Amino acid sequence: MKASIKRPPSPDAEIDRNREPTTVQATVNMKLIESEEKERLKELLREKLVECGWRDEMKSVCREIARKNGRKNVTVDELVDAITPKGRASVPDSVKADMLHRIRSIVGSTSL
Amino acid sequence: MSLPKVDDIHTNSELISEVFNQLLDSIIVDVASECHRITKLGLDRNLDEEEEELRLFAEARARSSDPSHSGESNSKYVVDMFGQTHPPIASEIFNCMNCGRSIMAGRFAPHLEKCMGKGRKARQKSTRAAQNQNSKGSTVSNRLSNGGSANAGHEYSNGTYEEA
Repeated sequence: MKASIKRPPSPDAEIDRNREPTTVQATVNMKLIESEEKERLKELLREKLVECGWRDEMKSVCREIARKNGRKNVTVDELVDAITPKGRASVPDSVKADMLHRIRSIVGSTSL
Repeated sequence: MSLPKVDDIHTNSELISEVFNQLLDSIIVDVASECHRITKLGLDRNLDEEEEELRLFAEARARSSDPSHSGESNSKYVVDMFGQTHPPIASEIFNCMNCGRSIMAGRFAPHLEKCMGKGRKARQKSTRAAQNQNSKGSTVSNRLSNGGSANAGHEYSNGTYEEA
Protein backbone atom coordinates (compact mmCIF):
# COMPACT_ATOMS: atom_id res chain seq x y z
CA MET A 1 0.00 0.00 0.00
CA LYS A 2 2.79 2.39 0.90
CA ALA A 3 4.54 1.79 -2.39
CA SER A 4 1.67 3.29 -4.33
CA ILE A 5 2.18 6.66 -2.66
CA LYS A 6 5.73 6.77 -3.91
CA ARG A 7 4.81 6.09 -7.52
CA PRO A 8 6.15 8.87 -9.80
CA PRO A 9 3.25 10.82 -11.28
CA SER A 10 4.91 12.42 -14.30
CA PRO A 11 4.56 10.86 -17.74
CA ASP A 12 8.28 11.32 -18.30
CA ALA A 13 9.01 8.38 -16.05
CA GLU A 14 7.03 6.07 -18.33
CA ILE A 15 9.03 7.08 -21.35
CA ASP A 16 12.27 6.58 -19.43
CA ARG A 17 11.26 3.03 -18.70
CA ASN A 18 10.37 2.12 -22.24
CA ARG A 19 12.78 3.74 -24.63
CA GLU A 20 15.69 6.14 -24.97
CA PRO A 21 14.48 9.33 -23.34
CA THR A 22 14.36 12.36 -25.62
CA THR A 23 13.26 15.80 -24.53
CA VAL A 24 11.55 16.18 -27.90
CA GLN A 25 9.39 13.16 -27.14
CA ALA A 26 8.41 14.54 -23.79
CA THR A 27 7.62 17.92 -25.29
CA VAL A 28 5.44 16.40 -27.95
CA ASN A 29 3.65 14.36 -25.37
CA MET A 30 2.99 17.33 -23.13
CA LYS A 31 1.74 19.39 -26.05
CA LEU A 32 -0.62 16.66 -27.07
CA ILE A 33 -1.96 16.13 -23.61
CA GLU A 34 -2.44 19.82 -22.99
CA SER A 35 -4.35 20.37 -26.19
CA GLU A 36 -6.53 17.31 -25.45
CA GLU A 37 -5.61 15.98 -28.84
CA LYS A 38 -4.16 12.90 -27.26
CA GLU A 39 -7.45 12.06 -25.59
CA ARG A 40 -9.29 12.62 -28.84
CA LEU A 41 -6.87 10.44 -30.76
CA LYS A 42 -7.19 7.71 -28.19
CA GLU A 43 -10.97 7.74 -28.42
CA LEU A 44 -10.79 7.65 -32.19
CA LEU A 45 -8.41 4.73 -32.16
CA ARG A 46 -10.60 2.91 -29.67
CA GLU A 47 -13.63 3.34 -31.93
CA LYS A 48 -11.76 2.07 -34.95
CA LEU A 49 -10.52 -0.97 -33.11
CA VAL A 50 -14.01 -1.82 -31.95
CA GLU A 51 -15.39 -1.49 -35.46
CA CYS A 52 -12.87 -3.76 -37.06
CA GLY A 53 -13.33 -6.48 -34.45
CA TRP A 54 -9.92 -6.16 -32.89
CA ARG A 55 -11.38 -5.63 -29.45
CA ASP A 56 -13.52 -8.75 -29.68
CA GLU A 57 -10.49 -10.75 -30.75
CA MET A 58 -8.54 -9.55 -27.73
CA LYS A 59 -11.46 -10.31 -25.44
CA SER A 60 -11.71 -13.86 -26.71
CA VAL A 61 -7.97 -14.29 -26.16
CA CYS A 62 -8.47 -13.13 -22.57
CA ARG A 63 -11.30 -15.60 -22.12
CA GLU A 64 -9.13 -18.40 -23.42
CA ILE A 65 -6.42 -17.55 -20.91
CA ALA A 66 -8.95 -17.36 -18.11
CA ARG A 67 -10.26 -20.76 -19.14
CA LYS A 68 -6.81 -22.33 -19.30
CA ASN A 69 -5.26 -20.92 -16.16
CA GLY A 70 -8.42 -21.01 -14.09
CA ARG A 71 -10.68 -18.12 -13.32
CA LYS A 72 -9.26 -17.42 -9.87
CA ASN A 73 -5.63 -17.17 -10.94
CA VAL A 74 -5.95 -14.55 -13.64
CA THR A 75 -4.20 -11.25 -13.07
CA VAL A 76 -4.36 -8.04 -15.05
CA ASP A 77 -0.62 -8.19 -15.65
CA GLU A 78 -0.94 -11.67 -17.10
CA LEU A 79 -3.60 -10.53 -19.52
CA VAL A 80 -1.70 -7.41 -20.49
CA ASP A 81 1.44 -9.44 -21.14
CA ALA A 82 -0.48 -11.88 -23.24
CA ILE A 83 -2.39 -9.34 -25.26
CA THR A 84 0.28 -6.73 -25.92
CA PRO A 85 2.26 -8.56 -28.60
CA LYS A 86 -0.84 -9.97 -30.27
CA GLY A 87 -2.61 -6.66 -30.02
CA ARG A 88 0.20 -4.69 -31.57
CA ALA A 89 0.55 -7.16 -34.39
CA SER A 90 -3.10 -7.50 -35.25
CA VAL A 91 -4.05 -3.86 -35.69
CA PRO A 92 -5.30 -3.57 -39.28
CA ASP A 93 -2.90 -1.74 -41.57
CA SER A 94 -5.54 0.74 -42.67
CA VAL A 95 -6.30 1.72 -39.09
CA LYS A 96 -2.64 2.12 -38.25
CA ALA A 97 -1.92 4.12 -41.37
CA ASP A 98 -4.82 6.44 -40.75
CA MET A 99 -3.83 7.04 -37.14
CA LEU A 100 -0.21 7.71 -38.05
CA HIS A 101 -1.36 10.15 -40.67
CA ARG A 102 -3.51 12.02 -38.19
CA ILE A 103 -0.81 12.09 -35.57
CA ARG A 104 1.66 13.38 -38.08
CA SER A 105 -0.58 16.26 -39.09
CA ILE A 106 -1.26 17.17 -35.46
CA VAL A 107 2.36 16.90 -34.37
CA GLY A 108 3.45 18.83 -37.43
CA SER A 109 1.25 21.77 -36.55
CA THR A 110 2.55 22.07 -32.99
CA SER A 111 5.81 23.85 -32.64
CA LEU A 112 8.64 21.68 -31.39
CA MET B 1 20.01 19.59 -26.23
CA SER B 2 19.03 20.42 -29.81
CA LEU B 3 19.39 17.60 -32.32
CA PRO B 4 20.83 18.01 -35.83
CA LYS B 5 18.32 18.27 -38.66
CA VAL B 6 18.80 14.81 -40.17
CA ASP B 7 18.16 13.25 -36.82
CA ASP B 8 15.05 15.40 -36.44
CA ILE B 9 13.40 13.80 -39.44
CA HIS B 10 14.44 10.41 -38.24
CA THR B 11 13.15 11.13 -34.79
CA ASN B 12 9.94 12.56 -36.21
CA SER B 13 8.79 9.24 -37.57
CA GLU B 14 9.83 7.53 -34.39
CA LEU B 15 7.97 10.16 -32.43
CA ILE B 16 4.80 9.55 -34.35
CA SER B 17 5.11 5.79 -34.02
CA GLU B 18 5.79 6.18 -30.37
CA VAL B 19 2.64 8.24 -29.87
CA PHE B 20 0.67 5.58 -31.67
CA ASN B 21 2.19 2.84 -29.56
CA GLN B 22 1.36 4.69 -26.38
CA LEU B 23 -2.25 5.09 -27.46
CA LEU B 24 -2.43 1.43 -28.38
CA ASP B 25 -0.85 0.29 -25.13
CA SER B 26 -3.27 2.34 -23.14
CA ILE B 27 -6.20 0.80 -25.00
CA ILE B 28 -4.72 -2.68 -24.53
CA VAL B 29 -4.52 -2.15 -20.79
CA ASP B 30 -8.14 -0.99 -20.79
CA VAL B 31 -9.31 -4.09 -22.62
CA ALA B 32 -7.24 -6.37 -20.37
CA SER B 33 -8.54 -4.75 -17.21
CA GLU B 34 -12.12 -4.98 -18.44
CA CYS B 35 -11.73 -8.65 -19.29
CA HIS B 36 -10.13 -9.25 -15.92
CA ARG B 37 -13.10 -7.64 -14.23
CA ILE B 38 -15.58 -9.68 -16.25
CA THR B 39 -13.74 -12.87 -15.44
CA LYS B 40 -13.51 -12.17 -11.73
CA LEU B 41 -17.16 -11.21 -11.46
CA GLY B 42 -18.17 -14.26 -13.44
CA LEU B 43 -20.14 -12.15 -15.91
CA ASP B 44 -18.86 -14.24 -18.78
CA ARG B 45 -20.42 -17.39 -17.44
CA ASN B 46 -23.36 -17.11 -19.83
CA LEU B 47 -21.08 -16.49 -22.78
CA ASP B 48 -19.07 -19.60 -22.03
CA GLU B 49 -22.15 -21.74 -21.79
CA GLU B 50 -23.57 -20.40 -25.02
CA GLU B 51 -20.34 -21.06 -26.84
CA GLU B 52 -20.23 -24.59 -25.44
CA GLU B 53 -23.76 -25.25 -26.59
CA LEU B 54 -23.10 -23.93 -30.06
CA ARG B 55 -20.02 -26.09 -30.34
CA LEU B 56 -21.75 -29.23 -29.09
CA PHE B 57 -24.61 -28.62 -31.46
CA ALA B 58 -22.27 -28.26 -34.41
CA GLU B 59 -20.43 -31.41 -33.34
CA ALA B 60 -23.68 -33.35 -33.04
CA ARG B 61 -24.64 -32.37 -36.54
CA ALA B 62 -21.28 -33.33 -37.93
CA ARG B 63 -21.30 -36.65 -36.13
CA SER B 64 -24.78 -37.62 -37.21
CA SER B 65 -24.12 -36.74 -40.81
CA ASP B 66 -21.24 -39.20 -41.16
CA PRO B 67 -22.85 -42.58 -40.55
CA SER B 68 -26.16 -41.82 -42.31
CA HIS B 69 -26.62 -41.55 -46.09
CA SER B 70 -25.43 -38.29 -47.51
CA GLY B 71 -28.44 -37.78 -49.79
CA GLU B 72 -30.79 -36.03 -47.38
CA SER B 73 -30.00 -32.87 -45.53
CA ASN B 74 -28.57 -33.33 -42.05
CA SER B 75 -31.28 -31.62 -40.09
CA LYS B 76 -33.74 -34.46 -40.63
CA TYR B 77 -31.62 -37.01 -38.76
CA VAL B 78 -30.37 -34.98 -35.84
CA VAL B 79 -31.61 -35.93 -32.38
CA ASP B 80 -33.70 -33.22 -30.80
CA MET B 81 -33.54 -32.13 -27.17
CA PHE B 82 -35.87 -34.86 -25.98
CA GLY B 83 -33.73 -37.50 -27.59
CA GLN B 84 -36.14 -38.25 -30.41
CA THR B 85 -35.34 -38.57 -34.07
CA HIS B 86 -37.92 -37.77 -36.69
CA PRO B 87 -38.16 -39.44 -40.10
CA PRO B 88 -37.88 -37.07 -43.06
CA ILE B 89 -41.47 -37.73 -44.17
CA ALA B 90 -44.19 -37.34 -41.54
CA SER B 91 -45.98 -40.64 -41.29
CA GLU B 92 -49.02 -39.91 -39.13
CA ILE B 93 -52.33 -40.85 -40.78
CA PHE B 94 -55.57 -38.89 -40.56
CA ASN B 95 -58.71 -38.22 -42.60
CA CYS B 96 -58.85 -35.50 -45.22
CA MET B 97 -61.56 -32.98 -44.36
CA ASN B 98 -62.42 -32.46 -48.00
CA CYS B 99 -62.86 -35.93 -49.41
CA GLY B 100 -62.80 -38.01 -46.21
CA ARG B 101 -60.04 -40.39 -47.28
CA SER B 102 -57.32 -41.48 -44.90
CA ILE B 103 -54.12 -39.68 -45.84
CA MET B 104 -50.53 -39.78 -44.63
CA ALA B 105 -49.47 -36.43 -43.20
CA GLY B 106 -46.34 -36.19 -45.33
CA ARG B 107 -48.41 -36.65 -48.49
CA PHE B 108 -51.20 -34.30 -47.46
CA ALA B 109 -50.16 -31.32 -49.55
CA PRO B 110 -50.05 -33.08 -52.92
CA HIS B 111 -53.25 -34.86 -51.95
CA LEU B 112 -54.93 -31.53 -51.29
CA GLU B 113 -53.97 -30.12 -54.64
CA LYS B 114 -55.56 -33.06 -56.38
CA CYS B 115 -58.47 -33.11 -54.00
CA MET B 116 -59.19 -29.37 -54.07
CA GLY B 117 -58.38 -28.26 -57.52
CA LYS B 118 -55.20 -28.82 -59.43
CA GLY B 119 -56.22 -32.12 -60.95
CA ARG B 120 -58.59 -32.16 -63.92
CA LYS B 121 -61.22 -34.39 -62.36
CA ALA B 122 -61.55 -32.34 -59.18
CA ARG B 123 -61.70 -29.16 -61.23
CA GLN B 124 -64.64 -30.30 -63.27
CA LYS B 125 -66.56 -31.34 -60.20
CA SER B 126 -66.70 -28.69 -57.50
CA THR B 127 -64.31 -25.91 -58.39
CA ARG B 128 -66.41 -24.62 -61.23
CA ALA B 129 -68.90 -23.71 -58.59
CA ALA B 130 -66.15 -22.14 -56.47
CA GLN B 131 -64.93 -20.17 -59.50
CA ASN B 132 -68.35 -18.73 -60.12
CA GLN B 133 -68.50 -17.59 -56.54
CA ASN B 134 -65.05 -15.95 -56.53
CA SER B 135 -65.59 -13.97 -59.67
CA LYS B 136 -63.30 -11.13 -58.65
CA GLY B 137 -60.28 -12.90 -60.09
CA SER B 138 -58.59 -13.74 -56.83
CA THR B 139 -55.47 -15.88 -56.75
CA VAL B 140 -57.52 -18.86 -55.64
CA SER B 141 -59.43 -18.94 -58.88
CA ASN B 142 -56.26 -18.33 -60.86
CA ARG B 143 -54.67 -21.28 -59.24
CA LEU B 144 -57.70 -23.43 -59.86
CA SER B 145 -57.82 -22.50 -63.52
CA ASN B 146 -54.25 -23.63 -63.87
CA GLY B 147 -55.31 -27.22 -63.75
CA GLY B 148 -54.52 -27.81 -67.39
CA SER B 149 -50.90 -26.77 -67.33
CA ALA B 150 -48.42 -29.24 -66.03
CA ASN B 151 -45.96 -26.68 -64.72
CA ALA B 152 -48.00 -25.03 -62.01
CA GLY B 153 -45.49 -26.07 -59.41
CA HIS B 154 -42.78 -28.50 -58.48
CA GLU B 155 -43.37 -31.43 -56.23
CA TYR B 156 -40.49 -32.59 -54.10
CA SER B 157 -40.05 -36.14 -52.99
CA ASN B 158 -40.25 -35.27 -49.32
CA GLY B 159 -43.84 -34.26 -49.58
CA THR B 160 -43.61 -30.47 -49.67
CA TYR B 161 -45.20 -28.64 -52.51
CA GLU B 162 -43.80 -25.45 -53.85
CA GLU B 163 -45.48 -23.14 -56.31
CA ALA B 164 -43.20 -22.08 -59.15
